[in-house]
Amino acid sequence: MHQPINKTKAALEKGSPATAFGDVMKILVIEDDATTGDYIAHGLREEGHTVDLVPDGRDGLIRATTADYDVLVIDRMLPGLDGMSIVKTLRGAKNRTPVLFLTSLGGVDDRIDGLNAGADDYLVKPFAFGELSARVAALARRPKLKDEETTLQAGDLTMDLIRRKVTRNDTEIDLLPREFALLEHLLRRKGRVQTRTMLLEAVWDISFDPQTNVVETHISRLRAKVDKPFESELIKTVRGAGYRIES
Amino acid sequence: MNTLWKSTPMRMALALVALFWVVSLLSLGGSYLVIRQSLEDAISADLEQNMAGFRAAPSAGALAALISAEAAATDPDERILSYLAPDGRHYGNALIARSNDGFRILRKNTGRAPSDETYLILSATLHGGQLSLATSLSRIGDLRETFVNILLLSLLPTMVIALGFGVLIARRSAQRLKAVEGTLDRLTRGDLSARTPVLSGWSDDISTIGTSVDRMAKAQQASVSALKQVSADIAHDLKTPIQRVAMLLRQLSGTPDLGPKAQVLAEKAAEETDGIVATFQSLLQIAQIEGGSPKARFQPVDLAALAQTFTEVYEPAAEDSQHQLVLELPKSGPTIVNGDKGLLGQVFANLIENALRHTPPGSRIDITIARTADQVKLTVADNGPGVPAEERLNVLRRLYRLEQSRTTPGNGLGLSLVSVIADLHDAKLELASNAPGLAVSLTFTATGPGAGAGKAD
Repeated sequence: MHQPINKTKAALEKGSPATAFGDVMKILVIEDDATTGDYIAHGLREEGHTVDLVPDGRDGLIRATTADYDVLVIDRMLPGLDGMSIVKTLRGAKNRTPVLFLTSLGGVDDRIDGLNAGADDYLVKPFAFGELSARVAALARRPKLKDEETTLQAGDLTMDLIRRKVTRNDTEIDLLPREFALLEHLLRRKGRVQTRTMLLEAVWDISFDPQTNVVETHISRLRAKVDKPFESELIKTVRGAGYRIES
Repeated sequence: MNTLWKSTPMRMALALVALFWVVSLLSLGGSYLVIRQSLEDAISADLEQNMAGFRAAPSAGALAALISAEAAATDPDERILSYLAPDGRHYGNALIARSNDGFRILRKNTGRAPSDETYLILSATLHGGQLSLATSLSRIGDLRETFVNILLLSLLPTMVIALGFGVLIARRSAQRLKAVEGTLDRLTRGDLSARTPVLSGWSDDISTIGTSVDRMAKAQQASVSALKQVSADIAHDLKTPIQRVAMLLRQLSGTPDLGPKAQVLAEKAAEETDGIVATFQSLLQIAQIEGGSPKARFQPVDLAALAQTFTEVYEPAAEDSQHQLVLELPKSGPTIVNGDKGLLGQVFANLIENALRHTPPGSRIDITIARTADQVKLTVADNGPGVPAEERLNVLRRLYRLEQSRTTPGNGLGLSLVSVIADLHDAKLELASNAPGLAVSLTFTATGPGAGAGKAD
């Protein structure tokens, strides 16, 4: 039940897209399905995180309250104690550890129920590992977002949030309101991967994944204005996961 | 009222009245003729017998005395005795002009009665003069009057009663038929929970039909729900293995010591499972929406704002495929409906994606929000090839795909999902021709300020 801790940095140094997801974290995964559990634990360890995998809800709650974790990944349906009850109990005990909720296919109300219960984010199975990884990273870093900044910077690009102006190499870039919002979102999370679904939720408040890859088309519009006229590429594609602006 | 005359009970009542008329006319007419004949026979026999009595008189003088004596005691309205003696003198209570011997009918104005009186006259030559005896036929006239009265007295009330009863039964049947018809209509439209309302009064063939319709609907509902349960069970049982396969394939494709060829294959397989997962997600979502559970979290949603967001989201994608997205919003008035924002967003996404997928480059897609007093109408219309009228209901069916679009991507669930979301929101879904192209519209009941008075939610 208790998985050996894997702290090799090999995966990080290998240059795989997942290495750039951020700091090493201590993560508890409560998941009864062995295949899904292994998939998550294996992937997160590859990225260098410390992962504890627990298949039972009651054991998971005990572990979550006794050890200090950076992020909890909790399946909704669990033997012993279901995911919702775990989150409610934790929040009731003033435990504020970020929680990523996992749920099975087909749940329409699950998302809202999960968030209402006190989970911070939500993911439907099956998911690409990049999606989980990006969301776990976003959760762990959540409090570090600086909202009071008036200018955002990445490389030679500057975004003035008050005058709503974007310049690169002293050249002003004319952006549509949503392009501005998209760039702002990526700049605020500089160095972190943002997946398509994360961008849809944050920029357009859309919580389902349309079949057409609409985010890609918006990113390519943004790139045409922000990257194409200049020498270096600021907005990077992270294969199998999403997009990121280098810090 | 027009339909009342066409109803079966009304027609039957009319037919019965007509039949009764014919039968009564024939029987009463027959009896009248028979009675009249025997009455006439009796009168002529009476006259002949009378005449025979007078023949016994020995001379013209005696006859004249006899006539005068009897005439004095006889009312000429009833009976006339008239003897024209050979010397030209007349005896009797009235004068009957000389004519041929034998029976004849005479119409004579008595001067007292308002109408002519008819007499049967028997004339015979006696002792050189002519004796005419006449009896009034007023009894026969009375007889006819009696028969006409019998006819009217029996037929008119019969007709009124029969017609009144016919109208009553026709009304009642019409109401019952309407109830059964309404149930059948709802069943046809797919509302399998429709049942015939309890019909008041005595049970008849219509209530039997109503019961049969209910029985049929119940059986159909049971089999449909069994079918739905089976599909939901299949989807439920398969979703965990599919999730596992998808994750295993992803894990496999990320294994570093896998050859490049194998890696590509594993990635392709993982992408295929994404398609299966999307289909499953839609099927399970449809089942869940049909269950009605999202209704609990309905909240006011601004359709115009949602339309704006989705037009914007799809704008670059449309541009890439050389489609033109045109958004039209009402100039004033709120466009708020009560609903699930996520699901309503999915309606926009599915309809716009559908239009993008099934129309050639250069097509125009109009996204319109229109508002009337108490309704908000959302329309996504294109000028592409459209959907033939006879296929418009089929495209709402799960996994159904038009022959012409078998090769385009999609799983045939987009419009089914729109359809169940429309049902969930009590919105009217319409697929119409955009001449050319397809126009899909959903009409919602508006809520919030400006909505029709008395439409409390």
